[in-house]
Amino acid sequence: MSGKASSTAELGTRPVGKLLMAYAIPAVIAMTASSLYNMIDSIFIGQGVGAMAISGLAITFPLMNLSAAFGSMVGVGAATLMSVKLGQKDYQTAQNILGNVVVLNLILGIVFGVIALVFLDPILYFFGASETTIPYARDYMEIILLGNVVTHSYLGLNALLRSAGHPQMSMYATILTVVINTILDPLFIYQFQMGIKGAAYATVLAQIIALVWQFVVFSNKKEALHLKRGIYRLKKKIVFDTIAIGLSPFLMNTCACMVVILINRGLAEHGGDLAIGAYGIVNRVLFLFIMIVIGINQGMQPIAGYNYGAGHIDRVFRVLRYTIYSATVVTTLGFLIGECIPELCARAFTSDEQLIEMAAHGMRIIVIFYPIIGFQIATTNFFQSIGHAGKSIFLSLTRQLLFLIPALIIFPRFWQLDGIWMAMPASDLVACIVTAVMLVIQNKKMKQRHLASNGQQ
Amino acid sequence: MDNNKNFVLNIGRQLGSGGHAIGTILAKEFGIKFYDKEVLDLAAQESGFSKYFFERDDEHRGFVKSLFNSIIPFTSSGDPYGNQLSSESLFKFQSDAIKKAAERESCVFVGRCADYVLRDHPRCVNIFISANMEDRVARLMQNLQIDAQEAEKRALEGDDKRASYYNYYSALTWGEASTYHICINSSVLGLEGTADFLKSFIMKKLDL
Repeated sequence: MSGKASSTAELGTRPVGKLLMAYAIPAVIAMTASSLYNMIDSIFIGQGVGAMAISGLAITFPLMNLSAAFGSMVGVGAATLMSVKLGQKDYQTAQNILGNVVVLNLILGIVFGVIALVFLDPILYFFGASETTIPYARDYMEIILLGNVVTHSYLGLNALLRSAGHPQMSMYATILTVVINTILDPLFIYQFQMGIKGAAYATVLAQIIALVWQFVVFSNKKEALHLKRGIYRLKKKIVFDTIAIGLSPFLMNTCACMVVILINRGLAEHGGDLAIGAYGIVNRVLFLFIMIVIGINQGMQPIAGYNYGAGHIDRVFRVLRYTIYSATVVTTLGFLIGECIPELCARAFTSDEQLIEMAAHGMRIIVIFYPIIGFQIATTNFFQSIGHAGKSIFLSLTRQLLFLIPALIIFPRFWQLDGIWMAMPASDLVACIVTAVMLVIQNKKMKQRHLASNGQQ
Repeated sequence: MDNNKNFVLNIGRQLGSGGHAIGTILAKEFGIKFYDKEVLDLAAQESGFSKYFFERDDEHRGFVKSLFNSIIPFTSSGDPYGNQLSSESLFKFQSDAIKKAAERESCVFVGRCADYVLRDHPRCVNIFISANMEDRVARLMQNLQIDAQEAEKRALEGDDKRASYYNYYSALTWGEASTYHICINSSVLGLEGTADFLKSFIMKKLDL
């Protein structure tokens, strides 16, 4: 208890810059690890199997995201619920939540896996697959979907590990999957000549090993929270609350996945199969920068939240400023790489000259407004840190949905394939403007309220 | 909580059921501290945050927050205590404040899941007070200076808000008999009569 109190006090006194470093670095490492995971998979598939395999893989992204959306619905919901109960030292209910999560993931994992397997071909065609790309997408997805139960259970237990006071163990589990996957990928793809299937087996196997390790951790009877008999019976209240809390992350993830489907279909229509692969490459590279920015933002949250609550408005704005600066440095680096050496980035994934050229061209357009996107993401997060979840969700939707969808529909009519690439930076720009306006308004309000409350005292 | 002399009375209540008034009477009868909204001051002190944030989240979960929980994919780590201004974190501060107050001295708590927060307290009485709708409406009309239609609307909304708040943070169900030691309809005996009846129940339960 005293440990928590001292770390809380620290948030109000230690220099903001040092605090931000201390809180952001672990988050940045975790975010980098998970985006490297995706990148490595794509690199091995592109280099080991071929250009069309990259396109096939890119088509499966939204389907995998949808599966992850279901997984994170249970994971995030249960983790929040668990935190609340552990905060009250209510270990009995916390145990029940753990047991219920295991069962829920089992059910959801199997149901989603089976349904997606049965309708796999129609789904993939709808997601933008062609006769050429579908064999790769199908081969890959069949194995991933067979392992879907494992994926869900792994994601769910990882979320619970975090909220059960073992954030470092959850990070180890993530890193473990990355390392195993990196070792198995070349072994399966090159050594055993398994093609794209090899990459899928490597992914599932890595998750199985991580899952086994998680079960070992949760079987330790010395822990207040462990697996035991009698906790697996689903309780209506736990299931309902879990889904109610997890619904918004689920919906946001689902929206993101719909947008990728829209992009992929547009790319297939105006640029063919290779364009989808090109976007897959660009996406993988740029995702790394976005994830680092999100890691920095996670570091900002506790600092901004505490100081806002304690009325240290100057510290609130200082941490926001530092976050925006560092986010801008990261996204500007992404901009420079995307403008200057996109060919080099694409070459890591494939040796197909046409695909490299297409990916480089796309990347150059997409990163045009990257230098200001760091500001947009940081501010979106800032609203969440000070308890304005609604505004935060709205801003996040402006960039990823509200302006992007109309742009994706309208632009290709004028500029064909380039129109789709251009839709993304256009939406970034408009979202940045909206964000700036909302921040200025909020800034005024906060300063006024701050002055008013000072006057009272 | 090794001080065995202290006891706590936790009162859950429907909006307009007179729970606040009955709590005040009981606190006076036993000569102990009374906390209703006063808990928010304790919580503000405990956290070092302005009371404003606790008032904003008091005994309800905002529409946006319950629909779009404060956890947004990717942008947050999924740990509600990571952000100290999240509703979950504010509730934690508030319940720590309740526990500390209960450790210090005997007291009456009205609402704010105190019965759940203090469920391990060796000497507690958990009470739920309801009332007939006409009485609740009449009381709200008088207290808030509103008309009957508005009062009934507020009463029903109040039930929903308190139930969703209580059911979210506790492992129990708001207003259900098995959650409490005693449930009583204040319309039957009136405020004074109900307090009197509860007093004898409390004395028997706690061996006072």
